[in-house]
Amino acid sequence: MKAGTGRFSFSRLSIQQRLPLLICTLLLSAIVIFSFATYYGLKKATLKIGKERLHSLTDQLSSILGQSAQALLGTVRATANQSFVKQYLKSEGKESHLETLQALDKLNRDSTWVSVELLDSNKTRVLRSDKSTVNIKVHITDVLYFTPVGPGACKVGKIYNLKGSMYYPTIATVTDNNRIIGYIICWQLLKNSPKAVEQLSQLMGTGATLYIGNTDGSLWTNMIRPVKGPPVRMNHIGDFIEYDSPRGQKVIATAQLIANTNWVVLVDFSEETMLAGTTSFVNWIIIVGVVLTAIGILGAWIMSYNITRPLNQLTDAATAISKGDFSYAVKVYRNDELGQLANAFNIMAEQVHLMHQELEDKVKERTAQLENVNKELEAFSYSVSHDLRTPLRAISGYSIMLKEDYDGKLDAEADRIIHNIITNAKMMGQLIDDLLAFSRLSKKELVRTRVDMQLLATTVVNELLQNNPENKCQVNIDVLPPADADQGMIKQALINLVNNAIKYSSKKADPNIEIGFKDEDSTTIYYIKDNGVGFDMAYAGKLFGVFQRLHSQEEFEGTGVGLALVKRIIDRHNGEIWAEALENKGATFYFSLPKNTDHE
Amino acid sequence: MSDNKVEILLVEDNSHDAEMTIRALKKVNLANKLFHVKDGAEALDFLFARGTYAERDINNKPKVILLDIKMPKIDGIEVLRQIKLNEATKKIPVVIMTSSKEEQDIITSYHLGVNSFVVKPVDFESFAKAVSELGFYWLIINQAVE
Repeated sequence: MKAGTGRFSFSRLSIQQRLPLLICTLLLSAIVIFSFATYYGLKKATLKIGKERLHSLTDQLSSILGQSAQALLGTVRATANQSFVKQYLKSEGKESHLETLQALDKLNRDSTWVSVELLDSNKTRVLRSDKSTVNIKVHITDVLYFTPVGPGACKVGKIYNLKGSMYYPTIATVTDNNRIIGYIICWQLLKNSPKAVEQLSQLMGTGATLYIGNTDGSLWTNMIRPVKGPPVRMNHIGDFIEYDSPRGQKVIATAQLIANTNWVVLVDFSEETMLAGTTSFVNWIIIVGVVLTAIGILGAWIMSYNITRPLNQLTDAATAISKGDFSYAVKVYRNDELGQLANAFNIMAEQVHLMHQELEDKVKERTAQLENVNKELEAFSYSVSHDLRTPLRAISGYSIMLKEDYDGKLDAEADRIIHNIITNAKMMGQLIDDLLAFSRLSKKELVRTRVDMQLLATTVVNELLQNNPENKCQVNIDVLPPADADQGMIKQALINLVNNAIKYSSKKADPNIEIGFKDEDSTTIYYIKDNGVGFDMAYAGKLFGVFQRLHSQEEFEGTGVGLALVKRIIDRHNGEIWAEALENKGATFYFSLPKNTDHE
Repeated sequence: MSDNKVEILLVEDNSHDAEMTIRALKKVNLANKLFHVKDGAEALDFLFARGTYAERDINNKPKVILLDIKMPKIDGIEVLRQIKLNEATKKIPVVIMTSSKEEQDIITSYHLGVNSFVVKPVDFESFAKAVSELGFYWLIINQAVE
């Protein structure tokens, strides 16, 4: 692409550039499309698998927690159903005191149990486990408000945040004849050791976070401490929820109710973690793609170089041949299509060389033949000129001698015959001279210069009129434009044409000649017009032939070579000549000369 | 006659042309001291006093040589060359008289040092006029080197 053109055009590139560009574009598009398709396909599949895993994990967790809650409820309910507990309450603490206390202590079995209490129907504490270490200040009414417990029932209440620790109550009613006579309320610390949480995390996998919370959303915990809960509403339970985690990561979460409690378990996975495998796979694909593209471009470059190098060699060879250097053969080192092309080219070049050689030989041969013919012609002209003139001069000479030496001694008839001999000899001499001038013209080299036609015509007319002083011809010469022509030849043509005009108008009372011109696009037409005898246009075709005459020798003298000579001169200038005439009204001879011809 | 003083040496193979030339010169009384040779070889023999002209006085040089070109044996151009190459003869005026107007002949002749080049007119009257005029010029008007 040339600088400054501003617009990219594929067609301006060489083949060497086009092929790598094309392959690079194709490979890149394929790789980009493939990468995107793979990325989205894998992402979708990975997310689907992740969601399924998330779903089963929350199910599992909710089921484990639900089962442990059920076990807890069973234990507490069993204690509440003990007859001695009922006895204790009915007797208002007077009976079964020890058994009841022992039963309460039995419930308070490990460190997570912080308080086990027995309350009467008025929700007043009547007995407390000896093992209880913490006095929970939450009133049972408050617990029952959120978790109403009917007669004979046992429920786990919601989680409370008490001074940074999470506690939850389990309440069972003690009934007698379907009447609530008291309550057992156990408070337990919702706490797992960091080790246990870590184990749970391993179960869930990295990037997963576990939340447990109340169904009313009032509290969330990571089972160690209260935490800011995820932005979920409880009507989303069972669905997949996407949100940004407090750590700023995009996460996918799902929540599940825990059976036998008012709790909910929620697990979230960071999408980044979930897609880590996909992302690294796609990264690999991109790296492989870039490497492939680089290899492709390199391969295409080498290939197109291999294609264009022989083509460039062919171009060089063709250029050399067109400049006439046939020694330039294309080197062929291959057997493929390009090698065949180069072979064919070399064969063609050889053929062209041979034909060129043959043609040159033929041209030389023809030139030699032409030169021979020319020489023969020259020899012929020479002999015509010399050998015919000599005897002719003898005829003319001896006739004149006869006339001079025997003047008055011969009769009138003899004088007439001698006179005719002399006249005809003269005539023949003129013919020979004209013929020689005509044949010499084709040998003569044309030398073009700028010819002042105005001046030339004036000179010619003056010379001719001086040679015919008795002629009373009126000649008008227009202001003629100059011509690019051979001065000598054009002068000869003008002499012949003006001479004809003078000759053929000489018998008129008021002979008149006009020399003018017409300006055309690429030529200038000059004309010589007379008011002489003219000629019959039916014979116009014969005008310019050698020895062709339209008038008898008695009417007008002439050899019939003059106009043939003019035509040859005009032909050699690449011009045209023609004539228009009316019998006894005059004739006009036109000749055209091309304008602005480069000087040869 | 060859021993007498020669003013014009006419080198002409054609006897008719020679006769007409001589007649034209006679008419103006310039043919008295004219010597006619029939070809180039004879002309050179005459000028350099060789062969049949061995007895001739070589110092008896013509005032002008009228030389035809087309002749048997040695042609006019060659005769001209030898005349102009030789110290003894190079100062003799040479007039080429020929029937042909070959440009090459004219160029070669002037190159070799011809003094005049005349194309013989076909018409006898013109011919006679030309011959007498040039005889008159070279024998009477022109001042030759002694």
